[in-house]
Amino acid sequence: MSAGILVDALLTGAVAAATPLLVAGLGELAAERAGVLNIGIEGLMLAGCFAAFAVTAATGNPWLGLGAAVLAAMALGGVFAVVSLTCRADQIVAGMAVNLLAVGGTGAAWRILQDRGLTDLPAGSGFTRGWTGIPALGELPVVGPLLFDQYGMTAFALVLAGVLALVRRRTRLGLVLHGVGQDPHALAASGVRVLGVRWGAVLFAAACAGLAGAYLSTMRTHAFVPLMTGGTGFVVLALVMFGRWSVGGLVVGCLLFGLAESAQQGLQSLPGARVVPHQLFQALPYLVALIALALAGRSAPGPAALGRPWPER
Amino acid sequence: MIAARTVWPALIPFAAAVAALGLILAGLTLVGYAPGEVLATAWRGLAGSPLRLGIWAQEATPLLLTGLAAGLAFRCGVLNVGTEGQYLMGAVTALAVLLALPPSVLSPWLAALAGAGAGALWCALAYGLDRWRGVPLVLSAILLNVVAARVLGALVEGPLHDPTTAAPQSALVPEAARLGALLPGTALTLAAPLAVALAVASWLVQRQTALGFEFTVIGLNPVAGDLAGIPVESRRRLAALGSGALAGLAGAFQVAGVTWFLSGDAQSYGYAGIAVALLGRLHPLGMIPAALFFAGLDISGRQWERRLGIPHDLGDVAKGAAVALVLAAGFFRGRR
Repeated sequence: MSAGILVDALLTGAVAAATPLLVAGLGELAAERAGVLNIGIEGLMLAGCFAAFAVTAATGNPWLGLGAAVLAAMALGGVFAVVSLTCRADQIVAGMAVNLLAVGGTGAAWRILQDRGLTDLPAGSGFTRGWTGIPALGELPVVGPLLFDQYGMTAFALVLAGVLALVRRRTRLGLVLHGVGQDPHALAASGVRVLGVRWGAVLFAAACAGLAGAYLSTMRTHAFVPLMTGGTGFVVLALVMFGRWSVGGLVVGCLLFGLAESAQQGLQSLPGARVVPHQLFQALPYLVALIALALAGRSAPGPAALGRPWPER
Repeated sequence: MIAARTVWPALIPFAAAVAALGLILAGLTLVGYAPGEVLATAWRGLAGSPLRLGIWAQEATPLLLTGLAAGLAFRCGVLNVGTEGQYLMGAVTALAVLLALPPSVLSPWLAALAGAGAGALWCALAYGLDRWRGVPLVLSAILLNVVAARVLGALVEGPLHDPTTAAPQSALVPEAARLGALLPGTALTLAAPLAVALAVASWLVQRQTALGFEFTVIGLNPVAGDLAGIPVESRRRLAALGSGALAGLAGAFQVAGVTWFLSGDAQSYGYAGIAVALLGRLHPLGMIPAALFFAGLDISGRQWERRLGIPHDLGDVAKGAAVALVLAAGFFRGRR
């Protein structure tokens, strides 16, 4: 294999691995900017992952699956919002409860799916690579494998990143979102409904997490296994912090992490790699995330009101 | 007045548990199961014979220990969501000790010590990353959970692997090194009374000692604690280490007395412990019924699956719903 092909494979794999992280991360970024830390994002992704697979398996239409993923994640996100925003429970423990609900709910529903024999997607019903539908684009040097020989979700993620960056810089909504996470008192005083904004941000984040989950089960693979997300949601939380709560930082973080993930898979397939247990390779991306966070230190604090309930008493 | 204020909150978890169970039953009734039969099946599985009761207590033991672990940290405002990783590291360290040492009566207790130590160290790692490198404890702990699961997997397939099988599982702890069963036919060991004793001890420390009071003050308001002269950081460190040790102990006892080996399969006693702690409203004694409720759901779920064909994971849904309800009822309000 020539070095060029190897690098191509590495980069293509990196973008493919970064895509769900970016989609879920952009949602979580918006929520955290509004002051809401949702540990339950792992569970929301799992719910989306399952719902997309189940509905696609049942109907043969992946678009319906995508819609189901968004709805399922938003419903669970709604539970989180009721508990943590409306009832003002601690956001972290509320998020853990959401994770528990998602693990149990998807596990139970998976059994039902198995009983009905819906354990595979109907042939050809999952999404395919090359979202433009023009194979020639995928063969372009560099941008071909990176942008065009990917699933549509990759393009969507980049567009969403651009839109969010614009909203942040150019619109009142962006300012309000920021303010609600920074100084909810001031925003409330100027007539903004703090809870309403936070509810909206949480539901948006849930929808994004649902899409990211759908990517795992109907695009990157065409399969579902219980606990499929396996900690991806937690990595998303780490990446949002690593990116200093900025869209650009998040994109860079996701790509770096995607690269680590892709390299990890590449390393595993090297002939000499058998000496090292494959689990240690799998642990590598999480260690990379931890080390990156540790090195990044505490130089930039997050949104001042992150994790705090509103109203405070 | 005082009675009303202290009794009502204590009843909330029970109401939440009943409501969560009711939710599941209602759902099952809707899809055509007879609720009476579902309940009867659960009850026979839980309390149909002394043996069954023993198994119930056996299943509740690791949950009580991880619940105490999470509760100790949470009460002090240390959000140790890493009990899962600490549990796993405790389990695998205990297993290594049990397999390496010549088997004796002392083996399980040495393994328990080693497991507690490993759990404390794993939590210290997360805590250190928070304290000195500015990585929020919630993140460091949760990422270390994933790392711990992979480390366990690597050890189980590597140095601790059972050479007689190709399956990804460790060698079996020799019989002489195991923690003996108190009730023949179950794996109910001394770990169960010990866990209850630890719960009572936690409660006494919390109520009767200055240390317990300091933990509570820090949990409610660290600034007030600091102003009152409590060494907030050192108390938090202590809570984190104690929490990790308890979670590790839970894993060690599970290996020494119940499973006798480890495989790479997912476990979740550590995560469940957080839910047990919350359902018990962080009250050490409240965690005893909470652990029994969770263990009861696990056992009932398996019975439902075997006898009625209902997915056992429904038990997990009930757990999540119960915790969400307790939180929604105003417990563990977000901190300022």
